[in-house]
Amino acid sequence: MSQHNEVGKIGESLAKEFLEKQGYKIIEQNYKTKYAEIDLVASKNRELVFVEVRTKIGENFGTPEDTINKQKLWKVLQNAKSYLAFKNWQEHARIDAICIVLNPNYTVSRLTHYENIIS
Amino acid sequence: MLIKVPSVANLGLETIKVDVEVNLASRGLPGFEIVGLADKAVAESKERVRTAILSCGIDFPAKKITVNLAPADVPKEGSLYDLPIAVGILSSILEFSVPEKSLFLGELSFDGGLRHTKGAFLMALFAKEFGFENLFVPKDSANEAAAIKGLKVLPVGNLTELTHHLLKRKIIEPVAYKETLGNISLPAEFDMKEVLGQEQAKRAIEIAAAGGHNIIMVGSPGSGKTMLACALPGILPPLNEAESLEVTKIYSASGGIPPGGSLVTQRQFRAPHHTASLPGLIGGGSKPQPGEISLAHRGVLFLDEFNEFPRQIMEAMRQPLEDGHLTISRSKQRVTYPADFMLVASANPCPCGYLNHPKKNCTCNQNQINKYQKKVSGPILDRIDLHIAIMPVDTTEFSDNQKNSEFLESSEAIKQRVILARQKQSERFKTEFIHSNSQMKNTHIKKYCKLAKDVEVILRQAAIKFQLSARSYMKMIKVARTIADLDSAEEIAISHMAEALQYRSKTYESA
Repeated sequence: MSQHNEVGKIGESLAKEFLEKQGYKIIEQNYKTKYAEIDLVASKNRELVFVEVRTKIGENFGTPEDTINKQKLWKVLQNAKSYLAFKNWQEHARIDAICIVLNPNYTVSRLTHYENIIS
Repeated sequence: MLIKVPSVANLGLETIKVDVEVNLASRGLPGFEIVGLADKAVAESKERVRTAILSCGIDFPAKKITVNLAPADVPKEGSLYDLPIAVGILSSILEFSVPEKSLFLGELSFDGGLRHTKGAFLMALFAKEFGFENLFVPKDSANEAAAIKGLKVLPVGNLTELTHHLLKRKIIEPVAYKETLGNISLPAEFDMKEVLGQEQAKRAIEIAAAGGHNIIMVGSPGSGKTMLACALPGILPPLNEAESLEVTKIYSASGGIPPGGSLVTQRQFRAPHHTASLPGLIGGGSKPQPGEISLAHRGVLFLDEFNEFPRQIMEAMRQPLEDGHLTISRSKQRVTYPADFMLVASANPCPCGYLNHPKKNCTCNQNQINKYQKKVSGPILDRIDLHIAIMPVDTTEFSDNQKNSEFLESSEAIKQRVILARQKQSERFKTEFIHSNSQMKNTHIKKYCKLAKDVEVILRQAAIKFQLSARSYMKMIKVARTIADLDSAEEIAISHMAEALQYRSKTYESA
């Protein structure tokens, strides 16, 4: 596994841990749809949350926030919509992002949770 | 949850009701959509509403919000829907009900405050007509709406104040109706007594002001044409109530009322430069806006260097000069704006400017003069009631006159006479839909301007001698009527008609 995939995996498990601590219930991990993959699907208070996780080692080559551009957001939105339709979800849903910056030794330097990034 | 907040749309000077329907869906991804033929300014209100609500310390709901501006087939423009949209959203999250028989209008600022928004006056007129009682408008626009009697106008400073009011925690005090009409005119640049000499021109200007007649002044450079025109606002009578409402409508629609302003009570004096564009002067655009001629409604349109104006613009003024209003037709919209103004034009007699000058020689040849004078067409000149030649003031007499300037009549004294003459006219026309002598149609002339035999004889002779057109013939009677009014005479006497005929000298007719 190349390094960037590995970092991604670590990030996703860190995000999952974080959400569980916040009282979210993880429903899906790496759910594949026609468009792309949804990193995490969680729920809390009967609200479905789609989470896009972005991880980087150090911020010297740009922050993880920088990597979320319009196309990515569009993909995430389409993913979410198709998931909602497929599961016939009848309540609120939102899209979150979790951005993680790791130190070179893979310890967490920063973890930021952005709620409701598309609205 | 579906909330309906009533507001309005202004199409030209017409107002229709618009229901702002705000729906916060109970499912789905968060989002914010506006539908219902909204233009750019309305679509951008999403960001203003969101930020303004956040600035008031209220969490913007993470729900799917859809706003519909009904009726959906009428194009909506402007920023006035910020407030109704915000009220709709707030009412569903704070759970207050939108008060009945209310209208909302206002542009939001990012800090949650409300900015002065055009059209508050038109909305108030609409509210009065259709039985709405409460008007929620920005504080700066409240005086405008409060000019209409019998409405409860609530000045909203910011969204927090409004939520307190609607939750009945702290009530906003309504703005009281104010009697704003007064005897005020626009500050004139000059007083009439500063204009030395030019007694005939001053008299002509007084007649023009008294009857609302169009006037053209032709004279060499520096003879005082512009000065006379700029002194004109000082002798104009104040607007009466009906006129004031008409003018305020136009200014409210075009955003010409300053923040905190109320009724337009002064006759407007518009002096566009001759480089003005056709839509700028006449009105137009894809969403037809009023032009200078409408902004000069019931006031004065001063066109300095008249023959420098493009031909097209001058000819476009023909119809409004006659009808007092104009209809601008575009593929999507048809708007009628009133444009009953008094045209004051000034021009030089020839390219060098010294034709008929008592001392200087004109250096133009006949061809040049003809070409120059032909820039103003016959039909336009025919619509101008008073033609005066302005002779230059002799500068050797200047210093003597300067000493005497305190003995000259001031604008205030002239204005009193003008006001009296106008009072006579409004008395005369109180059962008609016109206000001044210049507006008389042929039926009015028949009814109110009976000419004695000898007066008619003079007019007939003049008509033959000057080859007056039928329109000019009628205009002479109107001018004579105004002169008689200034003289407080009931009937038009020979002297009145003789004076009127003086102002028909062919100073500028090349035909």
